[in-house]
Amino acid sequence: MSFGSTALSRPLNRRTFIASVMAAGTLAMTSCSSDATRTTIRFNQSKPEVIPYFRSLLGKFNASQPSVNATHEVTAGLSAAFARNDPPDLGCLNYNFEMARFQERGALSDLSDLPQQQMNAPFIKQLLALYPDYPGRTSVLPYSMMGAAVLYNKDIFEKHNLPVPTRYSELVDLCSELQSLGITPIYSTFKDAWTASQGLADYTLGGAVDINQHFASLREIGSDFTPDSSTSFSKAFTDPLLKMQQLAKFSNKDAANRGYGDGNLAFANGEAAMYLQGPWALPEIAKTNPDANIGTFPLPMTEDPKDLKVRVNLDLALWIPEESDNKDAARELLAFLCQPEIQNAYNESALGFGVRSDSPPTNDARLKQLQPYIDSGHLYQGVSTAIPRTIPFENYMQGLVTGGSVEQTLATLDADWARLAQRS
Amino acid sequence: MTLTSPTKPGTKHRIVATPHLSQRRHFDATYLTFLVPALICFTIAITIPAAMGVFFSFTDSVGFGEYKMVGLSNYIALFTDPAIIGAYSFTIGFALVTVVLTNALAFLLAVGLTAQIRARVALRTIFVMPMVISGIVIAYVFNFLFSNTLPALGEFLGIEILKSSLLSNPNLAWLSIVIVTAWQAIPSAMLIYIAGLMAIPYDLYEASSLDGASAFGQLKHVTLPLMIGYIGINMIIGFKNFLGAYDVIVGLTNGGPGVKTRSIAMTIFTGFERGDYAYQMANATIFFIISLIIALFQLRLTNRGQAK
Repeated sequence: MSFGSTALSRPLNRRTFIASVMAAGTLAMTSCSSDATRTTIRFNQSKPEVIPYFRSLLGKFNASQPSVNATHEVTAGLSAAFARNDPPDLGCLNYNFEMARFQERGALSDLSDLPQQQMNAPFIKQLLALYPDYPGRTSVLPYSMMGAAVLYNKDIFEKHNLPVPTRYSELVDLCSELQSLGITPIYSTFKDAWTASQGLADYTLGGAVDINQHFASLREIGSDFTPDSSTSFSKAFTDPLLKMQQLAKFSNKDAANRGYGDGNLAFANGEAAMYLQGPWALPEIAKTNPDANIGTFPLPMTEDPKDLKVRVNLDLALWIPEESDNKDAARELLAFLCQPEIQNAYNESALGFGVRSDSPPTNDARLKQLQPYIDSGHLYQGVSTAIPRTIPFENYMQGLVTGGSVEQTLATLDADWARLAQRS
Repeated sequence: MTLTSPTKPGTKHRIVATPHLSQRRHFDATYLTFLVPALICFTIAITIPAAMGVFFSFTDSVGFGEYKMVGLSNYIALFTDPAIIGAYSFTIGFALVTVVLTNALAFLLAVGLTAQIRARVALRTIFVMPMVISGIVIAYVFNFLFSNTLPALGEFLGIEILKSSLLSNPNLAWLSIVIVTAWQAIPSAMLIYIAGLMAIPYDLYEASSLDGASAFGQLKHVTLPLMIGYIGINMIIGFKNFLGAYDVIVGLTNGGPGVKTRSIAMTIFTGFERGDYAYQMANATIFFIISLIIALFQLRLTNRGQAK
């Protein structure tokens, strides 16, 4: 800005002022151009809780090397970006059906040659198999996994000397006993449809049905699907969903009026023994009661403890769109994020589980009970993440826990699936 | 009016059309400068996207990437889809009930607020307030009232019916949406009615009271017949608006319990975000045609009103 002083030392008329402003602009642009030799890439990550975390990671990445400059994009709706052919260069998002339709249509580039793919934990293959990939491609690299099960109030269980149930009959007995003790067995928040679907419905279905198998045979049947096909929702889901309705009756009386926030508050205050929510609820509960003594166990749905399984989802997965012009730079950022010390630190801070064969076990006392199930591959992905969201599955499950008919709902679901299969 | 009326066929204007021509062309240029910018914006922002949407309704597109033409199969699937039919019957039923309730209450309020009462202006201001609050805010406030305040009140007073939330009652949840939507829509309908009522000459009431008409008789035989045009317009505008119900429902029930309160607009919107783009574009096209029919009906009604 040395020129500025000479310009200002003269009596300032309008022309010199404009000239100096223009000169300043040119100077600013040239100073930018030294930066412009760096490739700028857009990194999309919109999970609200960890935006500040990734922002600081990006800062470290930009400082660590001279060639790539990554900007942080936090918009949640990706459909529009893909529709405009202007997707981010690297995505780090929840891996669900929404994401899967991008890969199915070939909008994501092949990542099968990445060295990081060799490090995937053995169960990853099973998780990725839930969604069809574009032929010949591996479109995503898993980054972090969430394990969800029944959160339970250890103090209540210990005070009344109640064991953690490992069979369905034990679970029902436990609920009855809690009721006779005057304790609400399960705190439910059915006003928010998603809590009924990702909690109670996913746990009861995942604990009883082989979800991958179910959807693989549905895909095999394809557009020939009718409600009378060899695999159907009515055939596979009726029993577990009837059990779900039985369990839903052990909820707090006002469950239909309560939402997710009410549930976190009530469970933190010890108003119920069990709460069917994922680890994302733990920080919220800790806000109300940092000393809440909470444990986690998989919901038993059969009479065989060997069938116990944990609901997991790939909370974050990395992908690089076909449309990206800077795939190499994006891979550089990907490699940075996948360094073990960075990836493991993320999992620890976000209450996630590692997805690499060398990931350390979780350190969180509230989630430790789930680690053996994850290590041995006793896990499944929720049904609610496998059904295209154009079918209002969440609403159907909300209807069921508030007294709807299982038979009718599953007939509707079968009919919905048949129509969807015919037009896609 | 002379500028637009000569287009009517079979009138004397035809004979004298020639001297008018140059004058008309002159005015057209002025009109065009007003019209063209708006027309361009409308075409870019509304017409072209709408036409693209109609085009995509004949494909299997998910909103991006490759697609192929599938003819009418989206439309055929649409008419046999109970979810779509359910959304249409819910929305139309809801709109009918709401429009009747809204207009009945708005009319009564308007009659009350044009009468010679104390604090008339202050009352009008208070009654107009719901109009200036955004729908989603109103919905969340009422959501809290329905979920917490009313059940607490029911518990306190021992009234069984209030103890459980209206929003979680599968058979009555729609009623909560009617109440909240009507609460929000009454002010604008009321303002139109007030304007209409103030336009009725006072001597009509004077004459009718000389003839011995009671207050109710005046309402029935003087006010109502003169207000019928306003009522018609209010009903149609209201019905058209309520068909597009979205924000209030999202804030109150989000389509629940189950799928009892899913509106047409909600199903269309899920299409884009949830990968069923082409199918819901077909739905949107049908919805557009329905809205168009109502709009044409409304236009005919207003034109007839003007002709009088």
